[in-house]
Amino acid sequence: MAPTATDTKWSVEYDTLRRENLFQNPPTDQTAYPSLAESIRPHIDSFNALFEDSKIMEAGLRDIGTKTFLDGELETYEQKKARQAEGLRPPKRNRLNVRVREIFLEKPTLPPTNKFATRNREIYPSECRERHATYRGKLRARLEYQVNNGDWMESVRELGNVPIMVRTNRCHLEKATPEELVRHKEESEELGGFYIVNGNEKLIRMLIVGKRNFPMSIIRGSFVKRGQSYTKFGVQIRSVRPDQTSQTNVLHYLSDGNVTFRFSWRKNEYLIPVMMILKALAETNDREIFESIVGGAQSKGMKNTFVTDRVELLLRTYHAYQKHSQYDCRSHLGKAFRPVLSVPADMPDEEVGTEFLRKVVLPHLGNENVTESQDWDKFKMITFMIRKLYSTVAGDCAPDNPDAVSNQEILLGGFLYGMILKERIEEWIRSFGPIARDWSIRNNGAKFTDSAFERDFLSKIVKRSNENIGNALEYFLSTGNLVSPTGLDLQQTSGYTVIAEKINFYRFISHFRMIHRGSFFAQLKTTTVRKLLPESWGFLCPVHTPDGSPCGLLNHLAHKCLISTGDLEVSHLPRLLVQLGIRSESSVAIDESVVVQLDGRIIGYCSPKQAQRIADTVRHWKVEGKHNIPRELEVGYVPNSAGGQYPGVYMFSQSARMYRPVKYLASDKLDYVGPFEQPFMEIACVESDLIPGLSTHIEFTPTNILSIVANMTPFSDYNQSPRNMYQCQMSKQTMGTPGTSIAYRTDNKLYRIQTGQTPIVRPPLYNAYGLDNFPNGMNAVVAIISYTGYDMDDAMIINKSAHERGFGHGTVYKTKVHTLAEGDSKRSKSKRDVTKLFGFAPGDEIKEQVRAILDEDGLPHLGARVKEGDKIAAWHNVRFDPASDSFVNVDGITHYMKYKDAEEGYIDSIRIMGSENGNEPMQSLSVKYRIPRKPVIGDKFSSRHGQKGVLSQLWPAVDMPFSESGMQPDLIINPHAFPSRMTIAQMIESMAGKAGAMHGLPQDSTPFQFSEENTATDYFGEQLRKAGYNYYGNEPLYSGITGREFSADIYMGLVYYQRLRHMVNDKFQVRTTGPVNALTGQPVKGRAKGGGIRVGEMERDSLIAHGAAFLLQDRLMNCSDAQHTWICRSCGSFLSTQVAVSGSSRSRAAINPGAAAAAAKAAPNQQSHSHSAGAVGAVGGVAGVVRCRRCAREAVFDDSRAEIWEDGNGQRFVGGDNVTIVAVPGVLRYLDVELAAMGIRMKFWVDN
Amino acid sequence: MSREAYQVPSMGGQNAFDTQAGYGSAMNIDSPSVVYLCGECSARVPLKRGDQIRCKDCGHRVLYKERTKRMVQFQAR
Repeated sequence: MAPTATDTKWSVEYDTLRRENLFQNPPTDQTAYPSLAESIRPHIDSFNALFEDSKIMEAGLRDIGTKTFLDGELETYEQKKARQAEGLRPPKRNRLNVRVREIFLEKPTLPPTNKFATRNREIYPSECRERHATYRGKLRARLEYQVNNGDWMESVRELGNVPIMVRTNRCHLEKATPEELVRHKEESEELGGFYIVNGNEKLIRMLIVGKRNFPMSIIRGSFVKRGQSYTKFGVQIRSVRPDQTSQTNVLHYLSDGNVTFRFSWRKNEYLIPVMMILKALAETNDREIFESIVGGAQSKGMKNTFVTDRVELLLRTYHAYQKHSQYDCRSHLGKAFRPVLSVPADMPDEEVGTEFLRKVVLPHLGNENVTESQDWDKFKMITFMIRKLYSTVAGDCAPDNPDAVSNQEILLGGFLYGMILKERIEEWIRSFGPIARDWSIRNNGAKFTDSAFERDFLSKIVKRSNENIGNALEYFLSTGNLVSPTGLDLQQTSGYTVIAEKINFYRFISHFRMIHRGSFFAQLKTTTVRKLLPESWGFLCPVHTPDGSPCGLLNHLAHKCLISTGDLEVSHLPRLLVQLGIRSESSVAIDESVVVQLDGRIIGYCSPKQAQRIADTVRHWKVEGKHNIPRELEVGYVPNSAGGQYPGVYMFSQSARMYRPVKYLASDKLDYVGPFEQPFMEIACVESDLIPGLSTHIEFTPTNILSIVANMTPFSDYNQSPRNMYQCQMSKQTMGTPGTSIAYRTDNKLYRIQTGQTPIVRPPLYNAYGLDNFPNGMNAVVAIISYTGYDMDDAMIINKSAHERGFGHGTVYKTKVHTLAEGDSKRSKSKRDVTKLFGFAPGDEIKEQVRAILDEDGLPHLGARVKEGDKIAAWHNVRFDPASDSFVNVDGITHYMKYKDAEEGYIDSIRIMGSENGNEPMQSLSVKYRIPRKPVIGDKFSSRHGQKGVLSQLWPAVDMPFSESGMQPDLIINPHAFPSRMTIAQMIESMAGKAGAMHGLPQDSTPFQFSEENTATDYFGEQLRKAGYNYYGNEPLYSGITGREFSADIYMGLVYYQRLRHMVNDKFQVRTTGPVNALTGQPVKGRAKGGGIRVGEMERDSLIAHGAAFLLQDRLMNCSDAQHTWICRSCGSFLSTQVAVSGSSRSRAAINPGAAAAAAKAAPNQQSHSHSAGAVGAVGGVAGVVRCRRCAREAVFDDSRAEIWEDGNGQRFVGGDNVTIVAVPGVLRYLDVELAAMGIRMKFWVDN
Repeated sequence: MSREAYQVPSMGGQNAFDTQAGYGSAMNIDSPSVVYLCGECSARVPLKRGDQIRCKDCGHRVLYKERTKRMVQFQAR
């Protein structure tokens, strides 16, 4: 191994040998593509933060705290009265304190029950993929408990297995080098960031949530619905605890000027007068509150009568509550919220109130062991929020836009995972209470102090609780459904996880850069949330969002956008800020004092002028690294303005923020900016944008605003922007290369292109992200010419010889699990439960045909060709015989599993999956089928410019046009594809590709590098000229059929083409006859069921308009539910016709009436069955004659024998013979039957 | 079964199917053992019907079916 570290610098070059070497010798030090690894860091780091980096779970356990349960019953009012009358003290109730001290999450290992693994007991991700299992580690918790004030006792509980994110600190591959990754059957550039659940790679999508610890003023119409006199004004803060769970607090403005505090707790909403919160937080008085909102007596704020009036009213109306002291307020709050806070019954009201303030009111300012100064912080924050609220109401400041990224942050998958874990643990401890009470009741009112309790606590009480937390998390990851009693302050309950599909690498990597707005907004009628706002610049890619229903809701991060996953060290910052001259006095007048906040804590106030200076100074310090101010700190300076955003300096240092690199002009150094500060900064995009004396920053490169995938569109600045969006969509549907470890993957469906190439035209980022490891298409010689007519309407012609050389050839891999076990196959089974085994039943005779596919183990041999209905695996029933310790088959019958797909495939590999314990026989089988897919007519292709087309012909090479040098196009597209779509970049790519191929050069296709003065056409035109081609990329072409030169020169060049995964073989739907609906007799719908495509109302209309009566008849009748049925001409009824038993059979009927009745009973049935088969059977009938029962009368003695007919019961009738056969839709008869059941008769007039 | 599929030659002891009994006769009660490959150490693991699924060497739990010794040949069309 070379001693030098693996080079991580990449350029636009092909670097063929270097890449080949990387493939042959995977690096043993570091990955060669650090930017690729960087792109998924937020996922991994947020998971790492749970247990290692920031120890979020520890904070969570501290927040849960100690739960206390009491024994005995709460005495009723009567009991209390009686006891007090006797003068007794209240009965002593024993306290049981329970807490979780620590939790441990282990790396995935084999369970101890597995005695067979000798060398390595670690479970690697690849094994979980191959076994369709979950990559999970054992979760344990140190549970501590004490009774009264006794000693703490502890027990380490096992809480099941929780899924573990790949390549995190709980994964074996955390720091694995590419060489080790390859050894463990991973991609050499495997990035991790996903979980493996049941063999699927699942990831928790990033979700947009409101910015933490920042009071946002909001105008929302729905606030009015909160109650009487509520207005649309509010100030909302999403306060985030150290464990990343959040609590939203809202201040509402009432029409009389009052303010209420709203929060939601365990999915219920509560409202409290804000004064009560303020007075409970601190020992204060009305004057202090007044001054802390309005300002000192000398301040300008006193002149603001709008605010003074309202604060006065706030204070006055609160007097009605008669709660003045801190103690009174806390007790009142405690009394009110005792039932919902689940505090022990013997806790005094005041303490409950304190607990309430700790948990609910601005917990980001003090969440555990809240000190008095922290309560003052909360107090100050609420007064600030009141100020902002009044300012919004008065119209002095604008409301904040909750849809702009400046007021948003990102809920990372790891944090959400931690939140669920914390909540599950809390629920688990809480569940001890009812179980302990139940135990007490069962044991005749046993006390916690009894010796039995100590014995039974772990074995009877803890054991009975649901300790399987792992299961809950596995459920969450596999379904994406959030089952939560608190709702976790989130707006949706489902759709949190997605499968990280590896259709191709672009799609795979996009999953990790994807940001969802929340499924709540998907149903919203208004489209404001979907808007592309200027605030998103550089954070969310403006191009990379799908069109259609998720447009604007499902965004992707710009490729240079980072997300913080830990809190910065800024504890010294307040001190520095005080030195810069901030003070604690303030006033409502924002031209006099503006706030300085750090992470939602008010550090102090200063004048607006000072604020700017402070912001500038802190920025300078952080870029220069002075005073240990971290560069990632966000310094949001909101200047004073006329009715703009509420001013102040808001600094943010915590996790879940987006930030991105820009260049600081003053010192030419790297600076990070966040979305909050960006709107108020002067960041030039390119040199020409610089405004002297104003611009402070400049973008490193304008392409930083694009996502990884959007950056891969060549010269995207020359395309009409929707075309770039389409390309982002289509590159993710390309049949590309999902990776190199295909042999070890078991995805349901995997697409692979056989002849992938590196594009000639690509940006340097293509190499930096290592995309040559995952080629996505082929360079094709494309002629833009209207040639045969087969290139009309976005169809394209492929040169048959190119097709035969392998252009666009691909493979689909399908993995199917064939399992014998019914029901829950996850549960480990004893030998006794095994009832079926793979293989031929002993003693059974096996057909030659079966043997051609199956080996003697009953499984197909590798490489066998299978088509629909072929037998894929043999199995037989067995019974476990304990005497011989073997499985015995009794019946000797072999059963077979069948290949159900319509398409022919080959057996690619067969995996036999054992259990984790290593002691189970073969119960399930994972078979990978390989389905070759060469391009066929109807398959979809696209260039990289949103120009998709369908293959319409494989045109023989001899008939293709050719150039002067004898070149033929691989592919022909129609010139009409361009004028309306304006994908100029494809034309540039064509030229660039041609020039690059002639000179053997890769072409840099980074957007924004050419201008009006220095045009791309000129740059590549000159290159073409040097290569001996026409400057404009046109060349004379000769018709392949006549051999004569076309009168126009044809634009021909090299374009990178992608084959999309939409192939006719998966789509075609055709039917003449086939399955029909059992009730109506009409064809079923759905391709999978062999159904048809509906000729609907509009299609019917158009057929009528065309006068295509026969076609209409054929579609709606003959190919549907046409049937010939008997009808009575006289009474016009279907239902009264019946088959007459021929009268001559009377003698037989007399001898054997029972048999005749049975035959007659069968007859009508037979008739109805034969309807669909046609009238022939019905006309002939069983007895041959059909009569209308309704029009007939009972026969009398005088009637002629010839006219009498008999029904099945031997009753004899005369008449009713005016019946005929008509062709009607089957549903018409059905309708008649249904109506008859309701007592409605249908009558038909039959002419002719 | 399509006629193109390769027909197993009926002669010779190398036939993958029961060597001691001819076509149509009952298989031996002691089912034959088939060799699989360990997913971890690539060891050859012979398994019989009803055996526990794991590598005899390293205890790994995923086994691959071995590449077939039959001639696999399809008519090219």
